[in-house]
Amino acid sequence: MRALAAAAMTGLLLAACGGAGVPGSPVQPAAGVIRAVGAESQYANVISQIGGRYVAVTAVESNPNTDPHSFEASPSVAQALAGAQLVVVNGLGYDSWANRLLSATPAKGRTVIDAQTLLGLPDSTPNPHLWYAPKTMPAVARQVAADLAALQPSHAAYFQANLAKFDAALKPWTDALAAFRARYGGTPVAVTEPVGDYMLQAAGCDIATPFSFQAAVMNGTDPSPQDLTLQQSLLKGRRVKVFLYNQQVTSPLTQSLLTLAAEAGIPVVGVYETMPSGYTYQAWMLAEVRALQQAVASGKSTTKL
Amino acid sequence: MTDLLLAPGFFSSGPVRTALLVGGGAAVVSGVVGVFTVIRGQTFAGHALADVSSAGGSLAFLLGVNPMLGFLGMAGIAAAGMEAVGVRRLRGRDLATGVVFGAGLALAALFLYLATTTTSTTGAAITVMFGSMFAIPAATGRLAAVVGLVALAGVAAMYRPLLLASVHEDLAAARGVPVGAAGLMYSLVLALAVALSAITIGAILSTALLVGPSAVALRVTRRPGQAMLVAVLVALAATWLGILLAYDSFVWTPGHGWPVSFFIVTLIMAAYLLAPRRA
Repeated sequence: MRALAAAAMTGLLLAACGGAGVPGSPVQPAAGVIRAVGAESQYANVISQIGGRYVAVTAVESNPNTDPHSFEASPSVAQALAGAQLVVVNGLGYDSWANRLLSATPAKGRTVIDAQTLLGLPDSTPNPHLWYAPKTMPAVARQVAADLAALQPSHAAYFQANLAKFDAALKPWTDALAAFRARYGGTPVAVTEPVGDYMLQAAGCDIATPFSFQAAVMNGTDPSPQDLTLQQSLLKGRRVKVFLYNQQVTSPLTQSLLTLAAEAGIPVVGVYETMPSGYTYQAWMLAEVRALQQAVASGKSTTKL
Repeated sequence: MTDLLLAPGFFSSGPVRTALLVGGGAAVVSGVVGVFTVIRGQTFAGHALADVSSAGGSLAFLLGVNPMLGFLGMAGIAAAGMEAVGVRRLRGRDLATGVVFGAGLALAALFLYLATTTTSTTGAAITVMFGSMFAIPAATGRLAAVVGLVALAGVAAMYRPLLLASVHEDLAAARGVPVGAAGLMYSLVLALAVALSAITIGAILSTALLVGPSAVALRVTRRPGQAMLVAVLVALAATWLGILLAYDSFVWTPGHGWPVSFFIVTLIMAAYLLAPRRA
């Protein structure tokens, strides 16, 4: 069921992005097309934008209704990974299932890009949601272009041109972040977990929720009463301007915080573990910053993008 | 130093207040009902009921409804089922009870798997199995208060027949005590007690709160009324002290509080080991 849903989502996603791709493993790509896998839909989208018509991309995690932290790989995922020539994973234990499957199916000539390794981050990095950091995807895209060029040297110029297009397409997002920082820097915000923290830091926000609370929600353990008391007082006392809420990881606890925020009139902005459907990576990131800006400027909530 | 024993903000913390109230209620009800459980020699059946109720708590997470309703529903069904089969006949039949609670946990495993892989939920397994006392929503607290009062009223209404039927069923029946009604009432209040302790210290550990303090009490005294009082006091002390220690543990290991159910169950264990025996 999970695999079916993932396959269906992949199809929707790729159709929405206009990228070349195969939903699921049974469809064989045309000859001369590079098979690639993105562990999460945002990485698959970047591969698709760089590789264009020469790449068939499968996204493993793209279901907006589930928590990727508790993802369990199915046999079809194993098959897709085993047959892939290029794989992009997030690292930092976020998609450790991919590393296990990759080492279980050694394949010659398969290139694996690990965003964590690419950015030189130590394993102790507490926040694995790297795609919200502005420096992550440019680095991943550059490496994707280089690895695709190594696989198909005759199309190197095409990949390079797509890379330039992608980098240019990120500019509205980074500009929006800079503009937010200049105008609303130091804005206090509360979060349920660290999903959007890298973006908030880039936007100059002051994350008032203690990290131990965010980690507890992220890992599905109980937050300490001290942290919970503080978090509740942030919302009740209107000590924050925005509440960032992860739709993919909810519990009675996070829902009660959502109610507190609503009662206090604090706007809510939804953040995501995987790319919401109908978006490209850059459009998604820009939409997040705009939602943040709207929340701070006019108190408007954007619970779902 | 005092911070290690009473970390700052204990009494002004909303989550702590909810935990003290709901945990205290669960302790009182478990202490009273647990004495009957121990007298009836149905500890294992009580544990089976708790395990089966975990399937209800997990289903509630899957359906997105209040977990307390799930625990209550499944514990109620299990209690009625046990009564229909005739739990007295099951006495000593560990095998049948063991198989049934295995099946209950298997259902819980299925619902938890589905809840975490097809819906957006987090922490369900820990909450269902080991409780999340500091994260009890206000609505659950109100529901728990009602459940606790209903359970205590049930025991009060049937106290004499319940006690006679628990101590010696045949004798009670010969004296004209409505044994069947007493048994049904016991099963229902047991279901309520299990559901209450399941939302506080978790389904797996709820037996500890049910039979631990009562076992301590029946070591100290043989008189049921006194035993209930002692059991309630032991359960309350373990629960409230456990909550305090869990709160303090945030200071011992900065940023990481220890689970409150660990402290409560360990304190009950300590009380059991240290309890003076009747001469």
